[in-house]
Amino acid sequence: MLRHMLMARGVDEEAGLLENQGALDLWLSCRGQEAAQVGSAVAIGEDAVIFPSYREHAVAVTRGIDAVSLVSQWAGRTYCGWKPQYHRFFPYTLVLAAQALHAVGYAIGKRIQNAAETVVVYVGDGATSEGDMSEALNLAAVESAPVLFVCQNNGWAISKPSHEQMLTSIAERANGFGVRAWSVAGDDPDSTYLSCVEARRHVDTSQSPALIELRTTRIGGHTTTDPHTTYREADELAAAVANDPVAQYRDALLAQNVVDDAWLKAVDDDVVIARQELMEAFAA
Amino acid sequence: MDRTPSLAESLNRALHDLMEADESVVLVGQDIGRLGGVFRVTKGLQERFGTERVRDAILAESSIVGQAIGMALSGLTPVCEIQFEGFVYPGMNQIVTQAARIASRWNDEIALNLVIRVPVGGGIRAVEHHSESNEAYFAHAPGLHVAFPSSPTDAAAMLTHSCSLGAPVIFFEPKRLYWKRRQQPRELVEPDSPLGARVVRRGSDITVVGWGAALEDVLEAADLVSPTIGVEVVDLRWIAPMDTETVLESVANTGRLLVVHEAVGFAGVGAEVVAMVAEHGHRHLRSPMRRLAAPRQLYPPADYEKHYLVDVSDVVGAIKEMCG
Repeated sequence: MLRHMLMARGVDEEAGLLENQGALDLWLSCRGQEAAQVGSAVAIGEDAVIFPSYREHAVAVTRGIDAVSLVSQWAGRTYCGWKPQYHRFFPYTLVLAAQALHAVGYAIGKRIQNAAETVVVYVGDGATSEGDMSEALNLAAVESAPVLFVCQNNGWAISKPSHEQMLTSIAERANGFGVRAWSVAGDDPDSTYLSCVEARRHVDTSQSPALIELRTTRIGGHTTTDPHTTYREADELAAAVANDPVAQYRDALLAQNVVDDAWLKAVDDDVVIARQELMEAFAA
Repeated sequence: MDRTPSLAESLNRALHDLMEADESVVLVGQDIGRLGGVFRVTKGLQERFGTERVRDAILAESSIVGQAIGMALSGLTPVCEIQFEGFVYPGMNQIVTQAARIASRWNDEIALNLVIRVPVGGGIRAVEHHSESNEAYFAHAPGLHVAFPSSPTDAAAMLTHSCSLGAPVIFFEPKRLYWKRRQQPRELVEPDSPLGARVVRRGSDITVVGWGAALEDVLEAADLVSPTIGVEVVDLRWIAPMDTETVLESVANTGRLLVVHEAVGFAGVGAEVVAMVAEHGHRHLRSPMRRLAAPRQLYPPADYEKHYLVDVSDVVGAIKEMCG
């Protein structure tokens, strides 16, 4: 998991730099959400189809999508740079929560064809305010569709904080639809992984939907054009940076001797190569 | 005995045959199963094919279209029913930002077989939101096919074609024709392609283009002015993509163009037909082109709809003025 987190971080940093130079048109940083994304993606495994939102870069990395393919849509070259069927990671959906209904329909469709499979959909906290999210939870519940809703709650819908967006937790709301739900901290990949395994197992065994809310942190702005320091408190930002899940997980694994300097060096070398590929593809 | 099927019966038979022939075809819509649909278009189909394939949807149009997109991605061919055209708007986001664009977003790696049936139009003394013609909204969205049949037999053929098109189709069904058995006679010249327009009456003085229920009025008007004026009637059939060739060919022969539709004229599909001929066929024109369509006013309460809708005498009047 640390490998995927480090790779996602490297791709994210390089894409941010490229946008700053004008080589990309826009970049939506996933900085701070790597633990939530990689922990959940590894728990989901390689088989389940994923309907992502648009910030799931670390999930994409975990699914084996290379940096250039991941970034190319933000350079205006394509609507989707990877092969959705091959990676079983469908194109990003920029209209919030629209993909939640697709995921439920996909799960129902597979069941009709006697090929039931667990389907995973990623949404953010802002997207849960959309009607399609409520419709998808309700539809999944009444149809008993095997869909795992992974909601990354990073506390912000661009500039609107979560507490101004909703009165209850997202997990509580899901419960109201009759969907089993959990709300867990998503800053540590190990605990995120274990919670998501439980959620996935619930969907697999009960053939009914579940939602897991991963409380996480957006270290950067909504996009590279979002001056988020104008609406976020300095203390909150400082805490977000200090609690960087990638640095913390790296230090923890190093301290526990799970990884060593040589392993980290090898991963760093791969990250450097990926960053070079990005530069060659987009900065030229 | 004259027993031509009505539009509802013809579509019911087409859906039955499609489901019989292809297991991937599933129906999703409000009240389409137990009830057989508010217009009975899906009557008997749930009994025949079961609740898995004829699915009574929850009361949410975005949910109907959104789940159908997912079903199509899973390999099925969903045919949705939106109960009335006035209730399509909650599903509009899924239609325009998702269904219409998904194939492009997938770099054309997939074909999306998806049909959204929409009963359309007025003249049936219905309440608010149950009588309008909103095809222009969909015609404007790249990625959508917009079908607007005018006769039971043709509607069945178009629906069958829609199911294997590999692209999302908004399939309009004129309510006024659902239970009508008598149809104006028409020459049934096969269109050049399944997506083509069709000349349904030959004439040499004026071309009248129409679609849907309005075509009945156009054909009746053509009869009334015959034989003094020879009216060529083009049934557009598909609003988008539009078969401009057939229209241009007809205008080249007649030199006059009148477009008749039930929807509001302002920024309507008729404006597109007229603009297209102005750009590509103006040299054939003997007189200025005209449109007959509804004013840019809300569809009125039923007592006033007769005055609001274009009727046969309006069409006769316009034809006579243009050919006078």
